[in-house]
Amino acid sequence: MAGNKGRGRAAYSFNIEAVGFARGEKLPDVVLKPPPLFPDTDYKAVPLKTGEGEDYMRALKQELRETMKRMPYFIETPEEKQGDIERYSKNYMKIYKEEWVPDWRRLPRELMPRKKCKKVGPKSKKATDAGKVTSLTNTADVLKKIEQIQEKKNQSNRHKCNNSRKAGSKSRDKISSQKNDFHSECEDGPNREQREQENDYINSYFEDGDDFGADSDDNMDEATY
Amino acid sequence: MTQAEIKLCSLLLQEHFGEIVEKIGVHLIRTGSQPLRVIAHDTGTSLDQVKKALCVLIQHNLVTYQVHKRGVVEYEAQCSRVLRMLRYPRYIYTSKTLYSDTGELIVEELLLNGKMTMSAVVKKVADRLTETMEDGKTMDYAEVSNTFVRLADTHFVQRCPLVPATENSDPGPPPPAPTLVINEKDMYLVPKLSLIGKGKRRRSSEEDAAGEPKAKRLKHTTENKEPIPDDGIYWQANLDRFHQHFRDQTIVSAVANRMDQTSSEIVRTMLRMSEITTPSCAPFTQPLSSNEIFRSLPVGYNISKQVLDQYLTLLADDPLEFVGKSGDSGGGMYVINLHKALASLATATLESVVQERFGSRCARIFRLVLQKKHLEQKQVEDFAMIPAKEAKDMLYKMLSENFISLQEIPKTPDHAPSRTFYLYTVNILSAARMLLHRCYKSIANLIERRQFETKENKRLLEKSQRVEAIIASMQATGAEEEQLQEIEEMITAPERQQLETLKRNVNKLDASEIQVDETIFLLESYIESTMKR
Repeated sequence: MAGNKGRGRAAYSFNIEAVGFARGEKLPDVVLKPPPLFPDTDYKAVPLKTGEGEDYMRALKQELRETMKRMPYFIETPEEKQGDIERYSKNYMKIYKEEWVPDWRRLPRELMPRKKCKKVGPKSKKATDAGKVTSLTNTADVLKKIEQIQEKKNQSNRHKCNNSRKAGSKSRDKISSQKNDFHSECEDGPNREQREQENDYINSYFEDGDDFGADSDDNMDEATY
Repeated sequence: MTQAEIKLCSLLLQEHFGEIVEKIGVHLIRTGSQPLRVIAHDTGTSLDQVKKALCVLIQHNLVTYQVHKRGVVEYEAQCSRVLRMLRYPRYIYTSKTLYSDTGELIVEELLLNGKMTMSAVVKKVADRLTETMEDGKTMDYAEVSNTFVRLADTHFVQRCPLVPATENSDPGPPPPAPTLVINEKDMYLVPKLSLIGKGKRRRSSEEDAAGEPKAKRLKHTTENKEPIPDDGIYWQANLDRFHQHFRDQTIVSAVANRMDQTSSEIVRTMLRMSEITTPSCAPFTQPLSSNEIFRSLPVGYNISKQVLDQYLTLLADDPLEFVGKSGDSGGGMYVINLHKALASLATATLESVVQERFGSRCARIFRLVLQKKHLEQKQVEDFAMIPAKEAKDMLYKMLSENFISLQEIPKTPDHAPSRTFYLYTVNILSAARMLLHRCYKSIANLIERRQFETKENKRLLEKSQRVEAIIASMQATGAEEEQLQEIEEMITAPERQQLETLKRNVNKLDASEIQVDETIFLLESYIESTMKR
């Protein structure tokens, strides 16, 4: 730049007059901050269209918004339900919420609540049954596990165990649509297979363990949102 | 998806389905398709809630699923479909104008529930209509299903993709997700139903059912499951057909504004004739001969064949080219250039935005550049007849706001500014995109402002709701006028004033949302039709 010293605008590689600045005119300051959040407008906005149709549509929109909140599709967050104060009006609103049973034929199987897939026939009887069965298999599980550990120690029929392990993991992959890397224990293999023969979906029931408490309450049996 | 669109989707989902669905939906929009467990893991939501949310989103056609190899089901959000929720009031209003209250309620129910079987829609609508009717009168199922058939015939409602019937002999485990198939032939085929019955009143139902309480009766009906005749055949509102209707309406009113009522009526007739024969995305309608048009003109519109021909020639000569002449056979063949019409409407929208934002002198420069395609700065100043300094100022302002773009044409390969032409031009497509983006932003702002206003006055709103509920219940029990007045006075005068201001503001914001969406519709249609060419 040494050669340009004292030559004013020579820092620009083009003729500054071409963009509308006269010789010797001061250039505008460099903008260093973002534009204001609510910028001034030079022109006022035109008024909105009004008319019967517009008013009706607006009313429809407001009504739709209120109706949507009362539909079964509106899922409230659990925190919201507790709230600071128990309000009478809230109870009042809840009455209108209808039940919604999705058509499971149209949805991927994994979306079904787990309890639901257990039964096909009458609900109440099966629901209690289901509770019993799971607790039984639980104890059976433990027993079998102990047995297997013993077997492993003896290392007498390792071959057999391996076989069933493979089969178990294969069918698991097929059904639970996820690489569940947090479940790699092999002892579970044969039991899992047994259970799957009774029912296809049940294995996902035990997989993440966060819902063990849920199997005792009976009101979980209906898929109502 | 741009940030503005995602923001708007988030607000819409939250308002319609609550926070959990919003979280899952926005996550899917951001990341593209994902399997169930990954969604649960990434959003930190419990698996049960993710499942519920996905069920809701799939029910409302906002999310689709696909089975990938190894049986993994992936879910994908339809962002543009989420944005359509803004237009729900307009769809409903349109069906009211076309098919009266019954049509309105049918479409409303379909939009509220995403998809429904025809029998469910008919029952629900008949019940709702009966409730609004005078005592003793009821709505017949047959009448509602007639309207439904008409809506299906005109393609305003359509079948959802079906789950194919599976043979029980199929060995092996069932697939992880059903594959839905679209049967093109049956899309608008209404199943033969013999829906006999009448709408029921909610309040009088107790008398109808011989004293049986409602809850019990409901249980009764759900338990002894009578086979539903159209089980599994779901219907949804055909939004594309609605869009086609909106587009036609816009074109007709544009013609009416440009020429006169008669010519708009002719264009309307032409559009109606080609409604079903032309696919909604076609750039032209099917050619129609002037004889055909003459025969199809609405009765009572008595213009002679000669006058019609004159009008058609006039329309075809119009520089906007809404109507084009495609041949001379049959007294002249005419088409409606749908793409051109949309382009003209989008350009007009851009022009008027420039006019309202920057004033009429800027609009003059904008139109000039539009008309002359490419102009140098000096030429702009001269042609617009605006002092050079002001013209530059305006030009740069529009350039910085991306309404006008700059094209460099170097004379030498070194791109030296002194040896380069700088041409100003309007790229309509990119300007329309920019404006569309701004529209999304403004709607998001409007919604946020509305939510803020209601949140600020939450306590007051709740109070007024409570007071209204009390008054209503007291009126029902026949309270005296004095008592009612006393309760009404529980809301003080300043509070009442505050409520009124709130109501006015919310109304204004809601109306703006609807009207910005009209601009969105126009710009989207234009962009879509340009991209298809």
